[in-house]
Amino acid sequence: MKTLTTALTSIALASGISLANANEISVGGKNFTEQQILSTMTTQYLDNLGYDVDNRSGMGSAVLRQAQENGQIDLYWEYTGTSLINYNDITESLSPEDTYQRVKELDAEKGLTWLEPSDANNTYALAMREEAAKERGIETLSDLAEAVNNEEGLTFALNAEFYAREDGWRPLMEAYDFRVGRGEVSRMDSGLVYQALRDEEVDVGLVFATDGRIPAFDFYVLEDDQGFFPAYALAPVVRTETLEANPELAEQMNRLSALLNDETMAALNARVDVERETIEDVAESFLEENDLI
Amino acid sequence: MPIRSMKGALKALVLVAIFFAGVWSQSSGVIDDFIWYLPDVQYLVVQHIWLTVMSGSLAILVAIPLGIVLSRPSMARVAESLMQVLNVGTTIPTLAVLALSMSFLGIGTVPAVFGLFVATLLPITRNTYAGLKGVNPALMEAAAGIGMSPMQRLFKVELPNALYVIFAGMRTALTINVGTVPLAFLIGAGGLGELIFTGIDLYDPVMMLSGAIPTALLAIVVDALIATTAFLVVPRGVNPGRA
Repeated sequence: MKTLTTALTSIALASGISLANANEISVGGKNFTEQQILSTMTTQYLDNLGYDVDNRSGMGSAVLRQAQENGQIDLYWEYTGTSLINYNDITESLSPEDTYQRVKELDAEKGLTWLEPSDANNTYALAMREEAAKERGIETLSDLAEAVNNEEGLTFALNAEFYAREDGWRPLMEAYDFRVGRGEVSRMDSGLVYQALRDEEVDVGLVFATDGRIPAFDFYVLEDDQGFFPAYALAPVVRTETLEANPELAEQMNRLSALLNDETMAALNARVDVERETIEDVAESFLEENDLI
Repeated sequence: MPIRSMKGALKALVLVAIFFAGVWSQSSGVIDDFIWYLPDVQYLVVQHIWLTVMSGSLAILVAIPLGIVLSRPSMARVAESLMQVLNVGTTIPTLAVLALSMSFLGIGTVPAVFGLFVATLLPITRNTYAGLKGVNPALMEAAAGIGMSPMQRLFKVELPNALYVIFAGMRTALTINVGTVPLAFLIGAGGLGELIFTGIDLYDPVMMLSGAIPTALLAIVVDALIATTAFLVVPRGVNPGRA
């Protein structure tokens, strides 16, 4: 297995290898709105500071992380919980501070430096339409588990990644002790889950806590009453080599990170997903308002 | 070296290579990894086939009559422009067609079947049209000469002669269709795309291949099925496969 993975990895990645110059920085991003805003914002910000920036967004978590470890991506915004569980295989539950400290130590050994975390915590959550949640009396994930086990025929929409993640669907079902049949779960692109939930195609959808569509579409976020999900604090992660080559980069990125919290992120996300502004405009106006460009 | 023994040596070499590939995959645990995804694959293959069968047969049912109508002399002036309309389904990226159909048909199977139907339509219509237009004019003249009506000419002369080309279009269209179905996953219609896209997102090559290999095999099976049908259905006298 290991050999096959390694072989495929090298084939897949050999095609895009570019050697990093001192001032050339490639910024990565995942495949949903918040990450696209962040990578665009970072690109504009660093570009303005005089770096030669290459923006590569729209990847899956694991692919992006792999690319960073291989040196093709210098910098992207990662969530502490994702690194803890999915990249470092730590399953014990930790406080938000400990989570950050732990991934900072573990990833340092792999040549990655975690800069200052922001106050934005973009945890996974399950959401229902507010009316439907009230009608059925579901407020927490435990209530949901009970409803599922009482065979109320609830249907779910999840994205590809969550379904198979180690902090995802199967462990969640185990933790809350419920079982949903395959036929009741639709898997689709992250962004379409919100639409499917709003249009009553499904009863429960997987959402990101800082998504602006949650208030805009009147969704009710179910409380994670048993604390299954870890903290997903958003922080810039940079390759240590890149930092050594660009000593000012850490301080510059920390300045951006300090500006972000749940409300800011949700508002920025909403401008893109609900008000249909372009990602470039949203990123640019945010940087201008905060005198970063 | 005599050719006979060279062939023999080559065969032996291939056998040895297959043997070692088997030993390697067994010892490295890849086979166990694949077996772990087997229930998923079984469930998804059924969805995948279902999506192909529905969108493909709809496309055949619409495209062939359409191709016939367009090839009639009375349509000669508008045929090309009408075909350009169908082209839209092929030129717009399939994912965009799926996303568009989702915006008015909701999520799941219905918009997926519609999107795939639109994308499959053109190759079949185009080949039906080209096949009928390509029938030897001498044959048509002879048919008219012995007093056949236009309907008789269509069914007894034109269609039998064009069938081989029409089947070629169906082969192309349906093979591409099988390869496009994975995109249907993105709008919640399932299919082997679930394994392919999740495998890409999570950087799990075995999961990705568990979706990709069955997809490729399905495409080959579909192609072979239509080729066999063509072999049996196209009349002996005009069938290049049986000549």
